[in-house]
Amino acid sequence: MKDNYINTISRIYLLLILIGVSFISCDDYLDRKPLSDVTPSDYLWTEADLAAYAVGQYSFPSHSGWGPGVFSYDNHTDNQASSSYSNRWVPGEWRVPQSGGEWNFNQIRNCNYFLETVIPRWKEGKISGSKANIDHYVGEMYFLRAYEYFNKVQALGDFPIIKTTLPDEMKILAEASKRRPRNEVARFIISDLDSAIMFLQVNPPAGKNRISKYSAQLFKSRVALHEATWLKYHKGTPFVPGGNGWPGEGYVDDFSINIDQEIDFFLDQAMQAASAVADAVPLTTNTKDDGYNSFSNPYFKMFGDEDLNGYQEVLLWRAYDPSKGINHTVNHYINRNGGNTGYTRAFVDNFLMNNGLPIYATGSGYHGDDSIGLTKINRDNRLQIFMKAPGDLRYIDVTNADGTPILEGYPAITDIQETRYVTGYPVKKGMSYFFDQSEGGQGSTGCIIFRAAEAYLNYIEASYLKNGYIDSKADQYWRAIRLRAGVNPDYTVTITATDISKEAENDFAAYSAGTLLSDKTLYNIRRERRCEFMAEGMRFFDLKRWRALDQLVEHPYIIEGFKIWGPMQYWYVDKDGNSILIEPDTPGKTPNVSKRTESDYLRPYRINLDPSNRVKDGYSWISAHYLSPIAIEHFNITATDPTNPKTSVIYQNPGWPLQANAGAIE
Amino acid sequence: MITTKSGKEGKTRINYNNDFRWTSPIKLPHMMDSYTYALYFNEAAANAGQGAKFSDEVLDRIIKYQRGEIDYGTIPEPTGDRWQYYTGSNANTDWFKEHYKSAAFAQQHNLSASGGSEKNQFYVSVGYLDQGGLGRHTHDDLQRYTFTGKTTAALTEHIKLNTNTKFIRQDFEKATHMSDLFYHNIARRWPTVPVKDPNGYYTEPSEINQLEEGGRTNDQDDWLYLQGQLVITPLKNWNIYAEGNYRIRNYHYHSDVLPAYAHDVQGNPFPIAVGWSSPGYTSVYEYNRKDNFFNSNIYSDYEFSISDNHNFKIMAGFNSELQKYRTIGASRSNLITPSLPTIDTATDDSKATEGQYQHWATAGFFGRLNYNYKERYLLEVNGRYDGSSRFIGSKRWNFFPSVSAGWNIAKEDFWTFDDLIQMFKVRVSYGDLGNQNTHNWYPFYPIMPVNVNSGSWLINGERPTVASAPGLVSSLLTWEHVKTWDIGIDVAFLQNRLNINFDYYNRITYDMVGPAPKLPATLGTSVPRINNADMKSWGFELEALWRDRIGDLSYSVRAVLSDDQQKVTKYPNPTNDLGQWYKGRKVGEIWGYTTIGLARSQEEMDAHLSNVNQSTMGSKWQAGDIMYADLDGNGEVNSGSYTTDNPGDLSIIGNSSPRYRFSIDLSCEYKDFDVRLFFQGVGKRDWMPNGSYFWGATGNMWQAAGFREHMDFFRDENSVMVKAGIADVNKDAYFPRPYFDNGKNTYTQTRYLQNASYLRLKNVQIGYTLPLDLITRIGISKARFFVSGENLLTFTKMFDAFDPESVGLSGWNDGKTYPLSKVISCGLNINF
Repeated sequence: MKDNYINTISRIYLLLILIGVSFISCDDYLDRKPLSDVTPSDYLWTEADLAAYAVGQYSFPSHSGWGPGVFSYDNHTDNQASSSYSNRWVPGEWRVPQSGGEWNFNQIRNCNYFLETVIPRWKEGKISGSKANIDHYVGEMYFLRAYEYFNKVQALGDFPIIKTTLPDEMKILAEASKRRPRNEVARFIISDLDSAIMFLQVNPPAGKNRISKYSAQLFKSRVALHEATWLKYHKGTPFVPGGNGWPGEGYVDDFSINIDQEIDFFLDQAMQAASAVADAVPLTTNTKDDGYNSFSNPYFKMFGDEDLNGYQEVLLWRAYDPSKGINHTVNHYINRNGGNTGYTRAFVDNFLMNNGLPIYATGSGYHGDDSIGLTKINRDNRLQIFMKAPGDLRYIDVTNADGTPILEGYPAITDIQETRYVTGYPVKKGMSYFFDQSEGGQGSTGCIIFRAAEAYLNYIEASYLKNGYIDSKADQYWRAIRLRAGVNPDYTVTITATDISKEAENDFAAYSAGTLLSDKTLYNIRRERRCEFMAEGMRFFDLKRWRALDQLVEHPYIIEGFKIWGPMQYWYVDKDGNSILIEPDTPGKTPNVSKRTESDYLRPYRINLDPSNRVKDGYSWISAHYLSPIAIEHFNITATDPTNPKTSVIYQNPGWPLQANAGAIE
Repeated sequence: MITTKSGKEGKTRINYNNDFRWTSPIKLPHMMDSYTYALYFNEAAANAGQGAKFSDEVLDRIIKYQRGEIDYGTIPEPTGDRWQYYTGSNANTDWFKEHYKSAAFAQQHNLSASGGSEKNQFYVSVGYLDQGGLGRHTHDDLQRYTFTGKTTAALTEHIKLNTNTKFIRQDFEKATHMSDLFYHNIARRWPTVPVKDPNGYYTEPSEINQLEEGGRTNDQDDWLYLQGQLVITPLKNWNIYAEGNYRIRNYHYHSDVLPAYAHDVQGNPFPIAVGWSSPGYTSVYEYNRKDNFFNSNIYSDYEFSISDNHNFKIMAGFNSELQKYRTIGASRSNLITPSLPTIDTATDDSKATEGQYQHWATAGFFGRLNYNYKERYLLEVNGRYDGSSRFIGSKRWNFFPSVSAGWNIAKEDFWTFDDLIQMFKVRVSYGDLGNQNTHNWYPFYPIMPVNVNSGSWLINGERPTVASAPGLVSSLLTWEHVKTWDIGIDVAFLQNRLNINFDYYNRITYDMVGPAPKLPATLGTSVPRINNADMKSWGFELEALWRDRIGDLSYSVRAVLSDDQQKVTKYPNPTNDLGQWYKGRKVGEIWGYTTIGLARSQEEMDAHLSNVNQSTMGSKWQAGDIMYADLDGNGEVNSGSYTTDNPGDLSIIGNSSPRYRFSIDLSCEYKDFDVRLFFQGVGKRDWMPNGSYFWGATGNMWQAAGFREHMDFFRDENSVMVKAGIADVNKDAYFPRPYFDNGKNTYTQTRYLQNASYLRLKNVQIGYTLPLDLITRIGISKARFFVSGENLLTFTKMFDAFDPESVGLSGWNDGKTYPLSKVISCGLNINF
């Protein structure tokens, strides 16, 4: 019995000891760190880390998803039209969002995190790898921060300048939300680009898929020219800092501006950066074929080739490889159908004849526009090769069953939206002659991000605005562009023959601030830019900085396509020879073209005359649309009185109300 | 502590059960026929100011095909090499019927043996399940094998050893192409798309080629459970338990993508995409995951009484858990031949896609004291001290107490209703438990997001490794405390024939991890979640059970009714912005507009608009559009500043939490028959549907749907369908005018709030036990045969295309998931 008792007691003690021991080792047992994740203190110490982080932040407009890619980015301008319309042309329909929008700092934080982590280590020489490459990646990050900031300036104008990552404390974050005037932000962007230019190599490690010194210089000229022209043309309005009615009045500390000085500064910066590129990088040769088969034309091929490394003019490009899951569908549309886009008649008519004369000038030799082929005769070679015409070759590696080549047909203007030839003037830029490229999801042609021709044009415009005359470099560049385009390099011929009031019918950019330009040289610089950047997504950017839309407020503009009610109407018949074209107000039928009594030309937005088509009376404008509105939640979060968004440190952009879901007011 | 069947001493018993099931889908929508569908889409396009989607030529072909005047479902494209589909084809296919079988079959078998002696008992069982899927072309199939072995052995007089071993293997296979995208696509495939082209090949948009030929995905999931328990009884009423559980999981997953082809007009094959891969691509992917989970429980309990009336039991112990797993994944593309989809027989793009190690652990000490006086007054006190690896430093360990008391009034001396009421227990309890609410196993460690070889910007033809800034971690994250009050009554009436249990509880979760608070966007990253919210939950549960026998008939009725609600009682939202949680917000609250009605004429709409400006909701209002109510009287319909103080014209129009859940279980036995009926339902629930399953033609035409259930939409004399003569003017419609790319009529609003309450006959079972004299001759001690049905009847007011039990499940929009099923089964139970 006693043994039992002792046994029991000792067993109890044993149990208690066990429990005690397990308690002490318990805490160690519960220490479980992540076993297969990298913690920040272990990262950004080597050249490879920097390269991975930098490329992770690349985000440039390029081909993606389903559609003709960047070649449709000029839709909703006076260059190209799609079957749907954009609310930017309908005052009141573009509404202030409740949340989200461009007031977003995630990418900026990614850049700032890199710079504040890497730069101290870099200065102490603690990053391992090749010095030239490490410097290059640091340069890339300065570039990427500048690129993101420029997106903000374009969309919103004034913007807060933040150079470090911020902690999650309301007071600090609200204070950091204060907007700085746009010219100050532009100077900050240029200083980042200057740092980038200093460290970037001319030939980047791993080739032209990465940012290079020339890309940074070109981009700098773009930023500087944009700011210079914005300040110049929007001078005196609420859209420039210190302008009449500027909403930043009273919100911005230490503010002063001498606008003419700023404009001069930016023009200088633009000229210097642009010429650094234009002097060093030549333009790709154009063999100036007639558009039937441009397969061997380097200038044409540059936009639809799989490997763009061989083209010197291309400074930065994006590659695609469907087998790696990165692809696009550009040629599924551009080669096979109209891609729900098309050039406007105004744009096509704006191109010069190859002798340098505008089409309306006497002795121009213009053959009229009764057919697409006729419009191309003796014209600017860019129009000849970058626009499809019936009978053009489509594929180089397949033929019809009987051995005949596969050719382009008549533009299907009544097709379903996704593939429709909206205007009848089809886009050809970016086309590839290989059959595989036009299979769905198989696009692997490269996408140009920056090309040197922009530097040439930026210099011409900046120097002309600064000097008031075409200086020797500008003359050299302009001739080179025109020569390549197959147009008489003597631009004075064009300038003399230009009649701006005639051009104004076809070109929003004949106006600035609601008045017609009086300077014909300046007008032709703008025209050259419009023609060179055909289908590359630069048009709306240019129209806004030139303030070329004010005239639409009083005089809405109706978009037109090709001359449907001429001989081309006979292309659209069924197998019995009856026309398949249906005009509006035909009883019992849905229209697919506009009325012949209204215009000989196809008017894509005059087909459906129902009041639900908000652009049936033309594109209109309201000045608030030059900038985007800031979403209401951002005001609410930073307001000192949460119920009154007006007490926020942020101010709304001019013409936009502080009310969610409301349209612009002026 | 969970227990399973164990052996008993005595004769060995053998048991065999089987059942055979036929499953068919319920509540599948009915697609419109092709002509109605085409006109419906044309009408939606016309309403939106867009051109007609179907041209007159195609409409003509559609009618001819329906009448049998032509037998081809489509014609070639103008360029000649491919067939037209969607707006260019003219077939009349019901895609739900094409992709879902009318029924799927499953069978299950179970065999077990148990027995033993006084000292040692055993239990062994094996089982097999084979289940087919509902997809006609997906060929999905599941098999499950289980083995269980349990022993109980008395090692000495005081020490007992229990072991439990269980093994489960599950094999599942399906077509690689079958995924969420597949369900999303069934509804948005148009009836005009034919199943087969005029040459007899499956068409590309039917997705049948991809399902049948595009590769198979299969997985094998093995679970092995090993459990050993020592029970030591040094003295009478004193037990010491030492238990260890080890669970091993081996999961292997294989997926291959094989080439699938569609055919062009000449009958030549061309490759098409399977899943998200590019066409013609072949690949194989292998993934393995190994989990080791160990759990230990060491505790002891002791019971004693003082002077026979005061009964005590104390228990104290320790438990721990450790979970570790590792994964490995690899893939290669370009199979040498489609008949050998293995990594060894593929040549390109060798990739190790992952290889990770993860772990977490918890540990806890606990103690309990039970006391009762003559079974009349009952008291239980618990305490737990828990720690988790997910939290670090001072946050790691927390103490959680709970206490409950009960009073069985029927055991009192003064209780005179013994013959009527045998038990009348009143209970009350209070407890504080901890909850580690974070999916992240290492929430305090900032992680650098590095993704190897997966950047989308190709460098030199390869996907680069990419990295980005780490997110923020909050050092404040800790346990949630859940404090619960509960009172209850248990009553047993009429010789325990009627039992009623009622509970009412009130629970508050303190320091809940709520949605991250809103900070200014200048932070540039997501705000880390912290314990910043409190939530209150309250409800009741009532259960009544009646069992009785009348002669040879014994029956029971069990009814359960429960209800609960949750409300946010604390959350940092100073503006009371409706886009986040706010104090006083009930979970499931639906904010929406109030609908006055559909305008039946332009005059009615104009009269409404003269008082109320709806321009923020949309434009060009006409007959067939919604008239919204201006609740705040400011002459405009809008969302105000989207806060509780100024919600504009929004108000709380309903709540999507299911309320008053009930079930009724009726069973009776008469002689050799037994019958059981089980009803289940939800008494009250609101649901605001979204997506094309509900609205039909909405969004862009590629996301729209057209079911017969959508036909009750507004049509005036100019309607495309009315003019074509296939539908009447319908001004008293339920749905507004259909529009593509325009959401002005589809805001969350009272008119379209659905009543998701329902009553469902979940289970009916009829069994027959063979008479004993018949079966004992062949050595069988019991044989029962049964027939049963599940989900046979449903009563609900919900919109026909939805099932009230599946709304709110995952899937891209409501309704786009595996359909709910009705099952008929039969089987046998035999005891030897």
